[in-house]
Amino acid sequence: MAMNRRQFTGLMAAGLAAPASIIRPAYAQPKPGDELVVGIWGGAQEKIVKKHIEPKLVEKYGCKVSYVLGGTGERRARAYAERGRPSFDVLYLNIYESRQAVADGVTQPASPAVPNYEYLYPLARNGGYGVAFNPCTIVYDKTAASAPITSWKDMWNPEWKGRIAWPNGLGAEGISALMMTAKAWGYGIDEFDKVVEKVKELKPFAGIQGSQAQLFDMLDQNVADLSVEFASFTRMYAESRNPNCAIAEPIEGQAVTMNVACITEGTRNQKLAEEWVNLHLSPETMLAYANEIYYSPTVNNVEIPPELQGKVITAGNVDSLVDFDWDYINAHRSEWQAKYDREIAG
Amino acid sequence: MKRWIGPVLSFPVTAWLLLAFAAPMIVVVLLSLHEYPSPFGPVIQSPSLVQFVKILTDPFYLSVIAETVLLGLAVTAISALLGYPLAYWLARMPSKWRALSFAVILIPLLTNVVVRSLGIMLLLSPQGLINTFTGWFGIPPVETMLFNHGAVIIALAQVFMPFMVLALYDNLQNTSPRIHEAAESLGASPGMRFLTVDFPMSLPGLRSGVIVVFLMATTSYVSATLLGGGKVWTMGMLVLNEAISNLNATMASALSLVMTTVGLGFIALATLWLNRFMRWRQGVPSSPWTIPAWVATLVDTVGAPLRYLLLFCSIGLLILPLVLVMVQSFNDVPLATAAGFKGFTLEWYRRVLIEGDYTSNFVVSVKLALVAVAIAVALAMPAAFALARYPFRMRPVLLAFWMLPLSLPGVAIAVGMLKLLQVYLIIPPFAGLVSIHVVVILPFIITLLTTSAMSLDRSLEEAAASLGANKMRCFLLVTLPGMAPGIFAAALVGFLMSFGEVTVTSFLTTARLTTLPVRIYSEATFALEPTAHAISALLIVVTTVALALLGKFVRLDRLYSR
Repeated sequence: MAMNRRQFTGLMAAGLAAPASIIRPAYAQPKPGDELVVGIWGGAQEKIVKKHIEPKLVEKYGCKVSYVLGGTGERRARAYAERGRPSFDVLYLNIYESRQAVADGVTQPASPAVPNYEYLYPLARNGGYGVAFNPCTIVYDKTAASAPITSWKDMWNPEWKGRIAWPNGLGAEGISALMMTAKAWGYGIDEFDKVVEKVKELKPFAGIQGSQAQLFDMLDQNVADLSVEFASFTRMYAESRNPNCAIAEPIEGQAVTMNVACITEGTRNQKLAEEWVNLHLSPETMLAYANEIYYSPTVNNVEIPPELQGKVITAGNVDSLVDFDWDYINAHRSEWQAKYDREIAG
Repeated sequence: MKRWIGPVLSFPVTAWLLLAFAAPMIVVVLLSLHEYPSPFGPVIQSPSLVQFVKILTDPFYLSVIAETVLLGLAVTAISALLGYPLAYWLARMPSKWRALSFAVILIPLLTNVVVRSLGIMLLLSPQGLINTFTGWFGIPPVETMLFNHGAVIIALAQVFMPFMVLALYDNLQNTSPRIHEAAESLGASPGMRFLTVDFPMSLPGLRSGVIVVFLMATTSYVSATLLGGGKVWTMGMLVLNEAISNLNATMASALSLVMTTVGLGFIALATLWLNRFMRWRQGVPSSPWTIPAWVATLVDTVGAPLRYLLLFCSIGLLILPLVLVMVQSFNDVPLATAAGFKGFTLEWYRRVLIEGDYTSNFVVSVKLALVAVAIAVALAMPAAFALARYPFRMRPVLLAFWMLPLSLPGVAIAVGMLKLLQVYLIIPPFAGLVSIHVVVILPFIITLLTTSAMSLDRSLEEAAASLGANKMRCFLLVTLPGMAPGIFAAALVGFLMSFGEVTVTSFLTTARLTTLPVRIYSEATFALEPTAHAISALLIVVTTVALALLGKFVRLDRLYSR
């Protein structure tokens, strides 16, 4: 069969491009009218992305952005049910959900296809694209403390007996409290029974707090004096409502928790989704998060203004955050939850 | 009587439930029979009862079942105790005030359950209204009213008592004044008349109310989560934990079915027990109630003050939390739950009215509720007549099937729906949501319409027929107007149920179809701003004004009373 020069050139180009296509499939370029569906928390987070990400994306591509609002639980359950045929393009999950979702083939791992990937701290490259560090630590009423809290072991000081609101279940705060108990008292991750026994020494609890809003009510109303909570929200609470609320910086460190932007496996808007995540990782959005809700940047190219120093995690103290073996935790989650329900909360 | 009429009238609702409810229900049953949870495994696997064995041999699960049942019984008892005087008061309200008086139960129903629970918190908190009030008399504040079983029971009673009132209202206002005159002419005192006439005749409504409130209370989790402070466990919370946190749809399904069985058991027991006092309804000879004279004297003496005391408590319980919600909507605080009034602001109203924060969600909720109610009433009317007038062999089985959506926790239906999500993605999202909302509200509408159909005075229809009216004319001019209060109550309950539904909807919501409650719930899981209070306050004002205007110009008394 005869082949002209144009056909030959085309074939050569295709042949040269083949390795690249094996590494990364070709995705359609976004076109006006495309719709990106983003699953995210309502409230402040929804407002921030609508203000700082959506306008830039819409301006660049003429696309539309729609939101599915809700907690990560419902979002994750729906994404699992839709694995491979997602109705979401970008899904925001927490640290342990995101790593499990990648392992289960529901969402994609982080990739350099997102240009700002190169600025991500290594910790933020697991389970998708970490978009905000939001460490968990001990928060307490400093007027009820005989001395500032400097260690996770201080929770076992008798002065807190009956005044602790232990976090509910094995969510981000709950698992942070349990794993930091293990770290502080020298237990291995495979010694969960010992951790539970140690936590049981703190009983009776003043309550089990199911959300930061509930905890803040408990602190406001003098129902409890101490708990484990996200430092960011607690700082906002302390500044706006309760100046007596202190945020501990224990010697063992603060537990890392993180919001993660995840691109779903099988999304029909890969490019748009990557562009969305890239915009989220931009210094402007990172600073907006830090300014508005004290979420700490996960990229190393953001200059933290002086007024935020000491209030968010900066390059110098990212390494102090304590990470856990989430694969092990996720593998034992049901078993641990059952034990938690019966022996800690029950 | 033609035997085919009952089955034919039962067909539409049965067909709908088979298509929209049986499918997720079957999935739930199949999932409950899995040996191990497997999020991506096939639905049909070799059956195993291991999950049920786990539940029934684990003291933890058994204690939560017992806790849930006791909680449900307490909520039902309080709702009946406080709801009865309120329904009695509403039924005897002069017709020109009745529409406005109905605001007492309609406004709470229109307010999101999350917001109402927050209102209860503002009422019971150490710095809340009750402690502030008692503080004026030098009584020290009680700091233990929140985050315990008592707080949850009060919150659930606040949420579900309106359903008890609606169920009782239709019966109470149907009692003919002639019956009262007859009782009085035979020498009955007001107390004796209440004990021998009003109360027995209201038993069908009480039965419906007791069943509805118990089932709703035992399958709920929002109020228990917000007000229990982790010290209160319900089966609904366990199902949610397993389905959402652990992605263990298998255990969630098994727990749901156990809860459903408990609910059906309660329906059977409550029906059998209360039917013993209603033999007169079945046309079998029965002796009149024998009331000792001292009981009648006691009721005559303390009945009126006790009634007004309970009425005061019930109105207070329904309205006070909402007053606090309205106050909070002007509070200059960052979060909806912030205690204490920090300063006046209109910011939350600006967000709602000028920035339109919730407008599209509100419109979606109203459209969804209107369409769902229209379909549900059309399906339930024939079913109600089948139950009330045309007994047939399969009727008890069908009734149990129709009531199933009520006793199955909403989150369980959601678990089943999640497995069927691919099918529902093919169906237009709005149609999918409507079909599920119809399923959720049908048990209420069937119950209320059946109660109403059973209360109809058939002699009026016989009179119309004897005067030459054919069946259609008789239905349109006699039966239907006679059913009007029942239809109104059923449509209203259905609308409010659909408008407030959040459990199943949050699983099926899409980017373009987020309802108002789902939006508020989604914000509550992060940080709820007082904007939620502002939109609730606006709904309260609009409802009150609308009811007042309607009552003035549209002669609502024609609708409420025959």
